[in-house]
Order: sequence, then C-alpha cells, then structure tokens
Amino acid sequence: MDKAALTKYILDKFAGKVDLLDTGKVEPVFRLESDFLLEFCRAINSDETLHIDFLCNIAGVDTGERFEVVYSVASVKNRIRFDFKIAMAYENAEVESVQSVWPGANWHEREVWELYGINILNHGNLTRFLLPDNWDQGYPMRKNWDAPDFVRMPES
Amino acid sequence: MSAPFRTEEFLVNMGPHHPSTHGVCRFLLTMDGEVVVKAVPYIGYLHRALERICENRTYHQCLPVLDRFEYCTSMSCEYAFCLATEKLAGIQAPERAEYLRVIMLELNRIASHLIWYGTTSLDLGAVTPFLYGFREREDILDLFEMTCGQRLTYNYIRIGGVSRDIPPEFIPKLKEFIEKFPRKVDDYEKLLTENPIWIVRNKNVGILSKELALGYGVSGPALRASGVKFDLRRDDPYSLYDRFEFDIPTGTVGDCYDRYLVRMEEMRQSLRIVKQALEQLPAGDIKTKLPPNFKPPKGEVYSRIENSRGEMGIYIQSAGDSKKPLRVKMRGGSYNQLQVMPEIVKGGKIADLVAVMASMDIIMPEVDR
Repeated sequence: MDKAALTKYILDKFAGKVDLLDTGKVEPVFRLESDFLLEFCRAINSDETLHIDFLCNIAGVDTGERFEVVYSVASVKNRIRFDFKIAMAYENAEVESVQSVWPGANWHEREVWELYGINILNHGNLTRFLLPDNWDQGYPMRKNWDAPDFVRMPES
Repeated sequence: MSAPFRTEEFLVNMGPHHPSTHGVCRFLLTMDGEVVVKAVPYIGYLHRALERICENRTYHQCLPVLDRFEYCTSMSCEYAFCLATEKLAGIQAPERAEYLRVIMLELNRIASHLIWYGTTSLDLGAVTPFLYGFREREDILDLFEMTCGQRLTYNYIRIGGVSRDIPPEFIPKLKEFIEKFPRKVDDYEKLLTENPIWIVRNKNVGILSKELALGYGVSGPALRASGVKFDLRRDDPYSLYDRFEFDIPTGTVGDCYDRYLVRMEEMRQSLRIVKQALEQLPAGDIKTKLPPNFKPPKGEVYSRIENSRGEMGIYIQSAGDSKKPLRVKMRGGSYNQLQVMPEIVKGGKIADLVAVMASMDIIMPEVDR
C-alpha cells in the first residue's frame, strides 16, 4: 500500500477522529486525541488490511509550546509504516499505556515518563532507569530544563 | 534425625561489571538454586544524554555524537541520521557516494558481527574464536583507517554524501579481503558449528517465539532467527539495496544456535553485497553541496535502517527556522532485545542467561544512549 492509499484508508476508517498532519515528509503522520489512543491502537493492530504488529518507537517531544508523544508503527506482514501522535498541554500531561497491544512499549513509555514527566496511565512500572535512582533535578529533556554545567549553544 | 532440607529463593546481582554483560548492565536475579525465577535488567549506567546534546547542536555537529550511539557500527549510526536528515530536506546524495556508503555499511556489519562472534564464544568459554574474529576485523578497520583516518568513530558519512573519496590503495586491499574472507568464515564455522560443547550450550536455549519477538519489537538477526523473514534492506529498501542480490537467512526454532547460524550466514551475504557494489562503483561526485546555513524545512521523519543489531531508527523533528534539530530520538535494536530477555531466560539456568545475552548481541551504549 503506497502513501496515498494508506492515508485514504486510515482517514476513511477513522473518519472524524484522526487528522492528517502536513509535517510527515516520507510516511504519513496522523494526529489523534488521547482518549482515542488505545482504541486506535487496538483497531490498527487487529485490522486485516493494516495488521500493525510492530511498534518501532515512541518519542516524547517538547516543541517549546506543548508536549507531543509520537508513535512510529509498522506492519512486518504488510510492509506498512506510518506515525501518529498525541499533542497535549504541559499541565497534567498524560497518555494511556499501549502495552496491552504491543508489550514492547514498556521501556519506551517509561523513558517518556522519566525524561519528560508525561504521566503514563496504567503502565505498572514507572520507575527510574536511565537517570540515577536518587535523581531530583526535574525532567532533563524538557526545553526549559537547565543545569549549571549545561551550556546552550547560540543559534547562529 | 536431621531437620528436613530447607530451600528458599535468593537474590543475585549479576553486573554491573560482569564480563558477559557487554558494557555496564545489571541483572537482579531471583534464583531457585541454579534456576532463574525472575530477571530484572537495570540499565542507565552508560546514559550520556546524547539526544539532549543533539538538540543543542547543528545537524552537521550531531554526526560525531551519533558515532558514540552504537560504536561497534558507527557507520550505520551516521548513515541513519544522514538518511533521516536527507529525507527531511529532500537531498539526494550522488550515486558514487551511495555506493561508497553501502560498501562501508556492509563492511561495518561484518566487523560488528566479528566482534559478536569473538565475544560470544569468549563468554561461553572458547578463546580461539575471539582471536580469529578480531584478526579479520583488523583488516576492515585498516580499510576504514585509510579512508577516513579513524578506526572506531569514523565521522565519514555526511549529510549529502561522504567526507572523502577512497584512496587508490583501498580497492586492491578490499579485493584481497573479498578473496580471502569466505574461507575465513568457513574456518569460524569449523570451530563452533559442529562443536558438541557449543551445541549443548546453545541448542534449545533461550527460545524466542515469533509472537513474542514481534510484540516486543525485536528486530534484525534475532527476529530472523525466530523465523520471520524480514530485512529492511529488502522490505523497506533504502540507499541502493534494491540493486543488489543477497539472501536473507532465517532460523526455525529461535534459539541461541539459530541466532548464531543467522549471523554467520549474514557475514557471507554482506560480503556478496560489498563485492557487487565494488563491481558497479561508478565515478563521479561524492558530496552534494549544502548551504552553510543548512536549515531543513519544518517537518518530522522516522527513518529506519537494518543495522547489525536490528532496526536502527532515527526520529527527527525540525521546527523549520533553526539550524538545530528540535528533537532527535535514537532507537536501537538492543533496547528491545534487552527488554524481551526477562521473558526468555525465565526458568533457565544462570549459565544460559550468559548464552542468551551473548546471542542477542546487546550493546549497552545503544540501550542507554
């Protein structure tokens, strides 16, 4: 399935609940609301045409204005790949865990929680693993995070 | 009359400085005698905040950082980042540069598999393969050194091409290597494939089922050993891989022995690709000129390549008005391979944990970043 056909299929199947973003340079990038996330994941996982059986990556992003969580998924069987994301405000940022669909999401989500402070609902094991156990200096991947030895490079 | 023999579970810390953890990784094991009841990996000892550092640098300055992401295959890391940036900015590298990239990537894959071959057998008590593996790896590193001056962190593949052309003495040296290497792989296999100790330690140990592998995002040789014929070089082709003929070896059981066989065959297939690339190598430019103030347009891309440890993906988001990326996320194969380990070592002996960890080819800098 090529990019145009895939985009049309997903937009038709989840009409009104999924938007296409214009930022996707190669594969389509969709945006959805966080309360639809788990349902969407289950649907693309069980759908015969898509059969998304492989979670490549979850990336937290701080754009400077809001948080995003970007999911990159693929189908090994049908050779499909696309991204979808949840965007949310800084306050009370939280997303549902998708471990029930792809168990491999566990560590990716833990990392998003640890480095960005985005709460993962129903995760089950939100403990520090990249940072030291006694870390108390906030969330280091946030754009406003600063440390005494962190030197910001000038833009030009 | 003596009291009845009492047993209880106990905890063992394996690592962080255990020779078989290939870096610094700690397992907290709940043991029942010699049987592992539960294994919990603790990572983060090598966390260097590479992603944060990349956000603070221009795209070109990111490349030396990427070298340190997974230093056994630095070429792949550089290439994954360059590919993502090129997709983002719509740049096409010249054909000669792409051929040189393929040659370097595949040589690097062989070098990485040779490290794996050596250290894995060392973990399981065989010392000779370690010496054999590092001997041939040395030839590959010599080739890299004469091309870019570096032996580990190359900084060779650049956005829009490669940093310099190969020197004249490169091709005869590479031909010599192509000539002798298949015999060397046969030698490697002679040492281990039919070795009774090797078979007992590896066959039916650490079986990873197809479903578990896919669910946990396991990729690369470990996934193929579980019987899934999936290779990004063929199934999501990038660079010029659709021009070369090569086979994709797969396993049937998904045990340590299958993972061993798959990697051995992959070395032969990589050499086939190098050979074809060398035959087709055209003349021409090696670099696309980029503006000094290189700013990719607003957008985001997740691009993935087949690294020797599985899918290596780089996610880049660009704000469009900056020379620095807004976000760089690195995804390495080892991350998911380590994640699935507690599932497959459960119920095995503690010595099998070493075999499984070795056969998964986990490298900690890739996990911790």
